[in-house]
Amino acid sequence: MNLQKEMTLMEKLEILTDAAKYDVACTSSGTDRAGDGKHMGSCVASGICHSFSADGRCISLLKILFTNECVFDCRYCANRVTNDIPRASFTPEEVCRLTIEFYRRNYIEGLFLSSGILHNPAYTMELLYQTLYKLRNEYHFRGYIHVKAIPGAPRELIEKTGFLADRMSINLELPTAEGLKRLAPHKSRKTILEPMRLIQNRREENKEELMLYKKAPSFVPAGQSTQMIIGATPESDYQIVTTAESLYQKFQLKRVFYSAFVRVNDDSALPVLPGGPPLLREHRLYQADWLLRFYGFRAQELLSEKRPNFNVFLDPKSDWAVGNLDQFPIEVNRADYYTLLRVPGIGPKSARRIVNARRFGSLRFEDLRKMGVVLKRALYFITCSGKMLYPVRLEEASIARNLMSVKEKLPFETQPYHQMNLFADYGIGG
Amino acid sequence: MRIFLCEGTADGILTGIYDAWASRLGHENVKLQVQENWNLELFAEYEEVCTDGEKAEKVARTIKRELGEETWESIFQAALADAPERADSIYRTVAAGLSGRRGRQDLMACLQNPDICKVFELSRRVGREVHHYLGFLRFRELAGGILFSEIAPEARVLPLMGEHFAGRYPGEHFLIYDRTHGEFLAHQAGRPWVLVQGEELNREQIQACSEEEEKFQKLWQAFVHTIAIEARTNPKLQLQMLPKRFRAYMTETF
Repeated sequence: MNLQKEMTLMEKLEILTDAAKYDVACTSSGTDRAGDGKHMGSCVASGICHSFSADGRCISLLKILFTNECVFDCRYCANRVTNDIPRASFTPEEVCRLTIEFYRRNYIEGLFLSSGILHNPAYTMELLYQTLYKLRNEYHFRGYIHVKAIPGAPRELIEKTGFLADRMSINLELPTAEGLKRLAPHKSRKTILEPMRLIQNRREENKEELMLYKKAPSFVPAGQSTQMIIGATPESDYQIVTTAESLYQKFQLKRVFYSAFVRVNDDSALPVLPGGPPLLREHRLYQADWLLRFYGFRAQELLSEKRPNFNVFLDPKSDWAVGNLDQFPIEVNRADYYTLLRVPGIGPKSARRIVNARRFGSLRFEDLRKMGVVLKRALYFITCSGKMLYPVRLEEASIARNLMSVKEKLPFETQPYHQMNLFADYGIGG
Repeated sequence: MRIFLCEGTADGILTGIYDAWASRLGHENVKLQVQENWNLELFAEYEEVCTDGEKAEKVARTIKRELGEETWESIFQAALADAPERADSIYRTVAAGLSGRRGRQDLMACLQNPDICKVFELSRRVGREVHHYLGFLRFRELAGGILFSEIAPEARVLPLMGEHFAGRYPGEHFLIYDRTHGEFLAHQAGRPWVLVQGEELNREQIQACSEEEEKFQKLWQAFVHTIAIEARTNPKLQLQMLPKRFRAYMTETF
């Protein structure tokens, strides 16, 4: 213990924010809760971003750890027991005051409370529960709460806590069980998946309770999410996307978050990444994640054992379209919603607008532009009343080249780390 | 051609629609314009519209009844936009809706029509700005416990934010000042919110903050600073997500 005097609230906040920053999720979406006319707080289904930090990430919730004391020794984590760092713990009262005063000033949508493992999982979970209980029942806070379920905590505690939170999450940490075993010796797939299953089942039961009795308390109404670290262990994109897909299907997760590995500990078990965190890879995984959740794609369509990683130069959807030219061009005035969604440059919103608008008469290319279709991407794949925008040869290499010349808007600067080579990247020629 | 000059408020535009319609000159012979940096046209006569709450209410009711709530919402949002052409586009959208035999309830889906498309675009732009302000707006606690906020929006966003903030803070007195349009959104604890126009902001009254205000501002600034991951520093993305025009009125420092 390297502290003697009582810490100020400011010191605690700095330590416990710094310790929480690698958690990705900051979304406040999924709950629609109007004000009750009496107590402070409401939730908006879409979520609201209140600020953006210097790394360009959204700040929606007060994201803090309850304590950064931790008995676990996860190799990738700054808070592991073997690190000599300043430690601090909030009291439930302090967390409540911060949340309420920040919320009143419209700084935040609510609280994201996570924690290191103090003494043991049950003890820690109990602290989180006490804090949430106070916030909901003494401060009558109706804003958004995202809380971590601590792996290994008793199920009754997780269940009780779930009735106070909007979202719960348990981090998968690493895409495969082997990776987890190597880097997080105190955790196991079992202690992570068990509470995930518990939350899923309890949510299902709760849906029935709510159908019978509208005023029944709701359990984790915004659903559960998880996150995994990308690039700390050698999994391929294919393995990661397949894992995400099965989490969506088997555990009905609302979101899977991907976190580009940042090397905070000098540990021989961790890779050294001279190019910094793998941001492009993380970005490609999020793009693919969107394709799974909103576009009706399956992981198998995007990647395979033979082609296990995403194309660096093309987004996953363009990459898929270029590889499946036999399915194009499609006629915008006739194709169904899901077929429209497969066209690069058409998203769920523009596809919906197309389907709605064409009942009033057929659409021209200029109409599509106004509806938000990105024509410079879409033009290779669509016809309007039988005609393409320009005469285009449906040929893989030339379309790929053209799509690459439309500069992709990436959320970060990229260093060109190898010369683009069509022949190698597309397996054309020798 | 007769041009109806109306006030830039929602009521002003709705009254304009009423008067233009009542003139029975035919849609092709009338035009609506808001009195914001407008240019005189040759060979046109001008008629100044006197904003009338009752006429506006009648038009609003008709739109809601005949064209549905959703279309009304789009039209109302577009009427608050910062775009001089909005009045005429709204007039023509309503005319198209009321004359068409089919598709009345989903009028806004007919984006092939340039006026409807304009209204759609404007309402989307206003909706986006409102959503930004729901997050980026900051209150500070004044000495008397009142929460005060100042913003400089492009559109007249206040009427679209009243429900959100009054619902969220039922027990607070708060005041939001839109300095672009000189409007206030005012809320007294336990009462409905009101929009106040034509009042001046008393700068002196908003100077003194409560005792604890500075402490929480400092805590928030520390939080925003600390939550960023150094290895991912990305000012360009930050600027894209949180443009400069919002920052001057926020508590955090950049």
